[in-house]
Amino acid sequence: MLFAGLPFATLVTIAAVAGGLTTVFYILKLRRRPVAVPFSRIWERILRDKEATSWWSRLKRLLSLLLQLALLSLLILALGDPRLAGSLVQGRNVVVLVDASASMKARDVDPTRIDRAKAEVKKLVRGLGGTDRMLIARMDAAVMPLSTMTGEMGDLDVAVDQLRATDTRADVKRGLRFALDSLRGLSKPEIVLVSDGAVGDPKALSENLDFEGVEVRYVPVGKSGKNVAVTGFSVRRYPLDKARYEVMLEVTNTNEEPVDVELTLIGDGQIVDVSRLSLQGNERLPRFYKDLAGASRTLEAKIKLATGESDDLSADDHAFALMPERRRARVLVVTPGNTYLEATLLLDEYLDVTSVSPAKYPPAGNFDVTVFDGVAPPVAPNTGGSLYLNPPDEGGPVKHAKAITEFGFDVWDKKHPIVRWMSMGDIQVAKGFSFKPEKEDKVIGASEAGPILVAGRRSGRKFVALGFDPRDSDFVLRVAWPLFVLNTINDFIEEDTSYVSSYFTGEVWNIPAPSGAEVATLKAPDGKTHQIPIKEGRAVYLGDQAGFYELTVKTEPEATTSMFAANLSNIDESRIKPSETLELGGKPAALPSGFDPGMRREIWLYLLLAAVIVSTIEWFTYHKRVTV
Amino acid sequence: MGVLDLFKRAAAPVSRRLGPVSRRFGAHKPEKADLFGDDFQKKLETLAIVSRRVFAGRQRAERRTKKKGSGIEFADHRDYTAGDDFRSVDWNIYQRFGRLLVRLYEEEEDLSIYFIVDCSTSMGFGDGKKFDQARRLAAALAYVGLANLDRVTIVAATDEIVSRMPTTRGKGRIFKVFDFLRRIHCDGQTGLGDSLKTFVAQHKRRGLAVLISDLYDPAGFEAGINVLRYNKFEPYVLHIVDPAEAHPTLKGDVRIYDCETGEEREVTVTAKVLERMERAWNEYKDDIERFCTKNQVPYFAADVDVPFDELVLGVFRRGGFLR
Repeated sequence: MLFAGLPFATLVTIAAVAGGLTTVFYILKLRRRPVAVPFSRIWERILRDKEATSWWSRLKRLLSLLLQLALLSLLILALGDPRLAGSLVQGRNVVVLVDASASMKARDVDPTRIDRAKAEVKKLVRGLGGTDRMLIARMDAAVMPLSTMTGEMGDLDVAVDQLRATDTRADVKRGLRFALDSLRGLSKPEIVLVSDGAVGDPKALSENLDFEGVEVRYVPVGKSGKNVAVTGFSVRRYPLDKARYEVMLEVTNTNEEPVDVELTLIGDGQIVDVSRLSLQGNERLPRFYKDLAGASRTLEAKIKLATGESDDLSADDHAFALMPERRRARVLVVTPGNTYLEATLLLDEYLDVTSVSPAKYPPAGNFDVTVFDGVAPPVAPNTGGSLYLNPPDEGGPVKHAKAITEFGFDVWDKKHPIVRWMSMGDIQVAKGFSFKPEKEDKVIGASEAGPILVAGRRSGRKFVALGFDPRDSDFVLRVAWPLFVLNTINDFIEEDTSYVSSYFTGEVWNIPAPSGAEVATLKAPDGKTHQIPIKEGRAVYLGDQAGFYELTVKTEPEATTSMFAANLSNIDESRIKPSETLELGGKPAALPSGFDPGMRREIWLYLLLAAVIVSTIEWFTYHKRVTV
Repeated sequence: MGVLDLFKRAAAPVSRRLGPVSRRFGAHKPEKADLFGDDFQKKLETLAIVSRRVFAGRQRAERRTKKKGSGIEFADHRDYTAGDDFRSVDWNIYQRFGRLLVRLYEEEEDLSIYFIVDCSTSMGFGDGKKFDQARRLAAALAYVGLANLDRVTIVAATDEIVSRMPTTRGKGRIFKVFDFLRRIHCDGQTGLGDSLKTFVAQHKRRGLAVLISDLYDPAGFEAGINVLRYNKFEPYVLHIVDPAEAHPTLKGDVRIYDCETGEEREVTVTAKVLERMERAWNEYKDDIERFCTKNQVPYFAADVDVPFDELVLGVFRRGGFLR
């Protein structure tokens, strides 16, 4: 017999102290309740008779004490977790990966797939052997272990209770890699995947994973997969008319059969459009809504079956998007006169434009953006971001490298928000100069002769410098010119042209946040708040819920709150048809075996049971006054 | 267990410590209800009529006592002793047997009835039902006595004579009886032996002594009755019994104490103990009855749960009170 719990010496100490205390307390008389009687002589008669049998009373009290001590001994032995030497064989080490992706919210089984999965995991926990150990992990876009590798049923039950489905895709490969890492070096390793099998390409699951020596089991959950989903939803304002916007959405029928759905578009809580769509089997139907107006902030798309019934998964029937906030930007133009520039700035009605001659710089007031046209005076504190057109070498943000003639944009950063979606290669420039940018500066466009469009920071302020006068080129005659100017202004005022109308759940989000703060408070769609870190002006968060979020950052003098939206928008997750088998490691994963309830061989359980029986006997004998 | 029970349990040690004070003031209060209201008085009149009808022909203004004296009704013979009146010698007996015997006659006089009401604390134990019943019975029987023109005296006794209502007669004095009974209350230890010794010393005129008590006397219930017997009173034991006392509502480990003496004992009350308690209580009652029967003392057990008029009729039927 071995003690797997507390050591024997500790048990003896506990037994001595607890046994002594029990005996002392037993000997000490309790204070009895005083009760008046009319004539105590009658009681004396009874007590005289009782005294005649006092030896029996003493014996009974001794029996009671023995029962107490037996109870104590059983409990202390249970603390020691005694085990038969022969039973100390190495048990299995099992990692249970429970799919908690959005498809597990499907209601094709009662009440949901995730609840059925929890029930299946509980069965596995009940079937653990005495020396088996288990780790339960939630698997969605990330892998979250919910327990340690343990044989304690209580801990495992708590872990199972923590399981919930999220609005994300399932990254099964990541889960399997986690499981293999967890099981490395352990005896009898086993992976049990509890999932609906709606995990995308099954062949890709096992790529580059070594399942050698590891038993892989699969517990399928779910029975049908009737689903129609909103698989794409985004919105953007028109760059030149920010009061209007356009919406793109995609509805997908994941069934084989055609289906009619009713699509509702909601802006700022008000219905904007209701339409009926007919989708063929497995059809992905894109829809565009152009030139919309009315909503200023939030947009939602909802679908439901035209029959009035609901499909099996409601999580992907609702999509969210948020339009960028509109605010009036104060723009200062320092120019001796530039018609093309002034005309461009008239295009955006949300700009407050102030023009001054270089001699009158700086004027009174604060500005978000200053455009220096051919000049580079010392920058005043109220300047904001600066756009330099043809800046002089002296005083300019970037030194000139050399003068160049007849050139154009040979390369440019097509992803940079200033020039994204613009065709810069057609621009012809008569004369200008190349820049000699500093190390931290970003070259956005360059000719063969060197950089001609550079962005960066000087004294904490953003700048963009263009190495030629636009009027010495055909740039001002092209559509790219007003876009370039307005994109630059938007970039300075952080009204990003690459604005994301919604994030995808299950990905790490980098949400723009005011620089300077280190922590932000994020309010999720379910109302819960989380403290998340801000790194390099971006709040970082792995989101798992679809809906609208609120991000609050404490800045001086007051907190700044911004909103953003998140959607599932994942066709693989919307294909919820369950898979009865799953091929992992080159062969179909078998159903779990050897998880039969009642297999535990832990003696402490029986000792505890005996303790309960003894205490029941004690309770019974006490209340029946047998042992008092 | 309710809040009130908790409060009672918490207050129990305090009330015990206060002891005599709490008993004196917290015990049975005589003015809690009018014991002798209209209903009671109506029933009294009925009882008086019933007593006359049942014992018709035996009513008397001249009620005979066992006292031998100068009456006209022959009672017994006794040996002649020097100094006896020659006129009372039964010459016929002398002629037949040659022995000088004197004829004795029952002396005719109005009977004295004494009601000795036990006012010890045990009589007011619990809700005071025993004491109320004792006073009702005393009042009812006193009325019957007064109606028969007997001399009625009531005394309240514990281990001493606590109070005494002067001898009176005539049913018009019943209100005096009510007033007296209303005034007395339960307080003190039972000691009928001592108190009745005082009683017999104070009352030279012998008569019927109705002892109304629960007979919870630490010195023994016999003491009081024997004092009456030995001093030529005619004792009549009206034993007030409360059956609830045979079934105390106790359970578990308790420390019981006598409400009069304060004697304590630790008891673990079990179903068996309660069973024994009932048996012991019945034995105690039987002991009293056996003692009375053996010594020709009329005994009547008055249950507190039986209406007093029924009990009075029972007393009539049992005999010994009316002759």
